[in-house]
Amino acid sequence: MNIKLLGLEFYKCRRRNITVLCAAVLAVELLWMGFTLSRQGTDDLRQGWMMMLYNLAMVDAIVLPLSVAALASRNCELEHKGSTPKLLETMVSPSSLYTAKLCWGALTLAVLFIVRSVIFAAMGAAAGFPGEVPLAQFCIFALISWAVSMMVYTLGQGLSLRFANQAPALICGISGSFLGILSMLFPPALTRFVPWGYYGLLALVGMDWNETTRITRFYWQWPSPADLALLAVWAAVFGTVGRMLFVKKEV
Amino acid sequence: MNIIQTSDLCKQYGGALRVSHLNLSVAEGSVYGFLGPNGAGKSTTLKMILGLVRPTAGSIEVLGKPMDSANRLAVLRQVGSLIESPSYYGHLTGEENLRIVQTLRGVPEKNIREVLQIVRLDGQRGKKAAHYSLGMKQRLGLAAALLGYPKLLILDEPTNGLDPAGIQEMRELICDLPRRFGMTVVVSSHLLSEIDQMADHVAIIREGELVFQDTLETLHSRSCRHLAMKTTDNETARRILKEQELSCQEQDDYLILPVLRDEAAAKLTCFLARQHIGVVRLEERQKSLEDIFLELTGKAVSL
Repeated sequence: MNIKLLGLEFYKCRRRNITVLCAAVLAVELLWMGFTLSRQGTDDLRQGWMMMLYNLAMVDAIVLPLSVAALASRNCELEHKGSTPKLLETMVSPSSLYTAKLCWGALTLAVLFIVRSVIFAAMGAAAGFPGEVPLAQFCIFALISWAVSMMVYTLGQGLSLRFANQAPALICGISGSFLGILSMLFPPALTRFVPWGYYGLLALVGMDWNETTRITRFYWQWPSPADLALLAVWAAVFGTVGRMLFVKKEV
Repeated sequence: MNIIQTSDLCKQYGGALRVSHLNLSVAEGSVYGFLGPNGAGKSTTLKMILGLVRPTAGSIEVLGKPMDSANRLAVLRQVGSLIESPSYYGHLTGEENLRIVQTLRGVPEKNIREVLQIVRLDGQRGKKAAHYSLGMKQRLGLAAALLGYPKLLILDEPTNGLDPAGIQEMRELICDLPRRFGMTVVVSSHLLSEIDQMADHVAIIREGELVFQDTLETLHSRSCRHLAMKTTDNETARRILKEQELSCQEQDDYLILPVLRDEAAAKLTCFLARQHIGVVRLEERQKSLEDIFLELTGKAVSL
């Protein structure tokens, strides 16, 4: 894959309202979080930063599966609409095309999560959360969100490229949003089998609710290496199968 | 030199052999018409030549090089193509569409303006491709194929869906290419009349099998004139004519003879009358290209 191909992916996505889609994702998350914070008491806001990242992981599990599938669909659908693979594949290999699209998704999501981190850090500071902005945690959280989203994006890209009709990819995204939040209620062993459940599984903040005192305590937690490895396995499986189906498809 | 050479090219889908042992030879500098009824295997063959479809068996050489995965893209740098419907991004303008191809082909930017002028789309370059008419989309597809001024241009049914004026315009464009740019053009169609007006070489394919391949002149020579004669006793007439060393064949109650001069034809009828054989009809016939196509393909011809 070369830079030229990657640049062309951005060029092709002109007027595809990608920025609007990303802005909508941010707006939904911002509104959700704003609503959640407005319902918290002063005591709860003492752990504001942790509470924010804890809730954000939940919001991610609901919002991102569908949003990421939509993003992949916006980028892949244009090839089906214009019957372009039979032109493009006389100039580049299908494998390079697949990689370029994946890199486009990786960069777009990276920008989305960087912007999101800045917005939410500013939001926390404006809300008067005690202590410094936990920059390191924000960076790690963004990195985890990006990694899980990339796994979901790889699945979405595979489906969007395989089927001209984008319904399977979007239905998968909708199911993902549902399963993503539902899987937080599953035991972790079961959550590991739900790709969209990794938003919650790899959350950087844990919550301990004391039944007797009715006090909620948040704490930092590191994702387990086994879960990170499993995430990589899921991504590799989706990537390998998606690439193979795309490369083998005769146009 | 042959710019395309296929040997025993086959493509099987499920249990059906869609292209069967095809041996195509496209001479450099020619306009090569690839003719066949719908579903004969034309598009599949052209896609195999471009490496978009993997052959089940056989080999392909383009520009003297085998079309394998190792050098497919290198060979295709000198090949332009328009397969079936044109490929375009509807949300981008005509010029933006061509910029994508120009970047991928690594050709100078000025080529975009030039090809837009060649296909007469320069006035519409800022319009979104989705808003183009079908004819304009076809011309945009042709512009994309021409962008690198390739040595070989492969056009699959380029006039499909065009109105008569569009067909005429596209035909003129295609006929002009070898003279202006020294390109070899392979153009497929199910319309015999179209190939007749554009090509100098022709291949006819039927159910995946090559049934004719030569110059258009040779195809025309098959449409030679002949005499068709119906007599009261064709069998005896045939025997007598054979004794007179005049070869003839019987076809649908007619004896088919070579064309004779008027005096010779008059002598023949008199001679048969003396043998008590009456000449019921004597007609001069000429096979049309459509008849030949029909004979070769065994299918109703599209006109």
